[in-house]
Amino acid sequence: MTRSLTRWLLFGVIAVPPALFILAPLGSFMLLSLFHSEKSVIIRAISLDNYRAFFGNWTYFGTYLGTLWLCLQVTALAVVLGYPVAWFIWRQKGGTRYLLLLLAVIPLFMSYIVKLYTLRAILGLNGLLNQALIGIGVLDKPSQAFLFNQTAVLVTMVVIYLPFVILPVFLSLERVPRSLLLASTDLGAGGGDTFRRVVFPLSLPGTVGGALFAFVLALGDFITPQMVGGTTGFTIGRVIYSQFGLAFNWPFGAAMAAVLFVTALIGIALAGYAASRQRV
Amino acid sequence: MTVLVFAVLYAPLFVSLLFSLVEIKRGVIQWDTLSFSPYLTLWSNASVISALSNTAQVAVVSVVIACLLAVALALYTESDGAIGRRVIELVIYLPFLMPPIVTGLALLVASAETGVPRGLATIVVGHAVFVLAVAYRLVLTRLQSLPPSQVQASADLGASRWQTLRLVLLPHLASAVMTGAVLALTLSFDETLISTFLAGDQMTLPLRLWAMMRVGFTPEVNALVTLVLLVSIALAVVVAWRMKPDDMGEE
Repeated sequence: MTRSLTRWLLFGVIAVPPALFILAPLGSFMLLSLFHSEKSVIIRAISLDNYRAFFGNWTYFGTYLGTLWLCLQVTALAVVLGYPVAWFIWRQKGGTRYLLLLLAVIPLFMSYIVKLYTLRAILGLNGLLNQALIGIGVLDKPSQAFLFNQTAVLVTMVVIYLPFVILPVFLSLERVPRSLLLASTDLGAGGGDTFRRVVFPLSLPGTVGGALFAFVLALGDFITPQMVGGTTGFTIGRVIYSQFGLAFNWPFGAAMAAVLFVTALIGIALAGYAASRQRV
Repeated sequence: MTVLVFAVLYAPLFVSLLFSLVEIKRGVIQWDTLSFSPYLTLWSNASVISALSNTAQVAVVSVVIACLLAVALALYTESDGAIGRRVIELVIYLPFLMPPIVTGLALLVASAETGVPRGLATIVVGHAVFVLAVAYRLVLTRLQSLPPSQVQASADLGASRWQTLRLVLLPHLASAVMTGAVLALTLSFDETLISTFLAGDQMTLPLRLWAMMRVGFTPEVNALVTLVLLVSIALAVVVAWRMKPDDMGEE
């Protein structure tokens, strides 16, 4: 057996699990998006009808754009809140640093569903937020504005996805070599200048990477809008989910999910590009 | 400001803890019902316990599969002259980078097309595929940190490739595999979005919790969630301890 034949055989064998369980399902699902559904029967005729129906119909396309906007907002808020926290943790020394990091990551280990439930309880009419606001005199009576709308979805998502941003930002800050910080001080820069011109630019690629990760996670989340969104908090995830449930139009759902897939791919590609520019 | 953010992040945890100890009627806390009994009575709640056991089974099986695959794939991609390295890595990372809804749907469609009935087995596949990326990344990083001189020395001393694998490479990877396994277990335990599409009659804990959300959670459920959280934290502390930068010192 020649060496290269062995190599190809090895590749063939090792590639089977990923191909079988990842590529093939993705392929079959993209294929399904090109099919048709009529009266709950799938008609296997290739056409772009589903995509036309999606992009041409403002109910669907508008929801998709609205979801993109919502997820961008969630990501932006998460970065605005998460970067200072990560920076603060990074500034600590030794044991404190890792303790704080651990504390920042622990909320990720809480059950997602129960987190949603408790947030719904907190934001609700009888919930803790209302009670607290009434207690300090900001409100006279409980407000309905905190729950079952798009804002509630936004707030809930930020609480859920914030830890996903803190960790990558911290990691990107940690990668800044101490030698650069020392050199900056040696050259006479104060703390603020060093941050502005050395730390922040160097940490940006990693931060963008982490932000995009949170963005992609938020994109496909359909449970959060269902639980706290009420009738106005609708994301494309919910629409896709219903195609596989009550609406029972699998090909159409697959088409919308394919659009989501491509969106996420673009996001990942951007994040990869941003991260690769970090040459330290 | 950090304190504020932490307060917001921890609010759900503490509220859940609170709910596990007292009962709430119409938003009013009934302090007289304060007790730890839910932590004991939860073990007799059949539906929750069966969901818990399903979740545990799925977690263990999918993590074992993922770790085995991760080691095999990492060894392959790091070997000299490996064909298709970039492509394989991309495919491995894909299910983790995509919105879970896409991964779940893809596997759902695949299972429907091939006639595989949905159940715990399909959930295992979903979790394994999702978690593979994490395990692979950890093992790969560890494998890359092994100085090539050690492998060469092993060959110089007369070891066959198989022996080098067994006595040099695998022990070096062992702790990375453990770390990856622990991380993967916690991921699998709470995995909801993918499992939604792949579940049959048997539910995992997150799915059971979602179904119960309409009715509301009894203190027992909150107690269970708090316990799971505590165990996860304990595991995370162990992992964090092992990942401290004493073997990652690069400047």
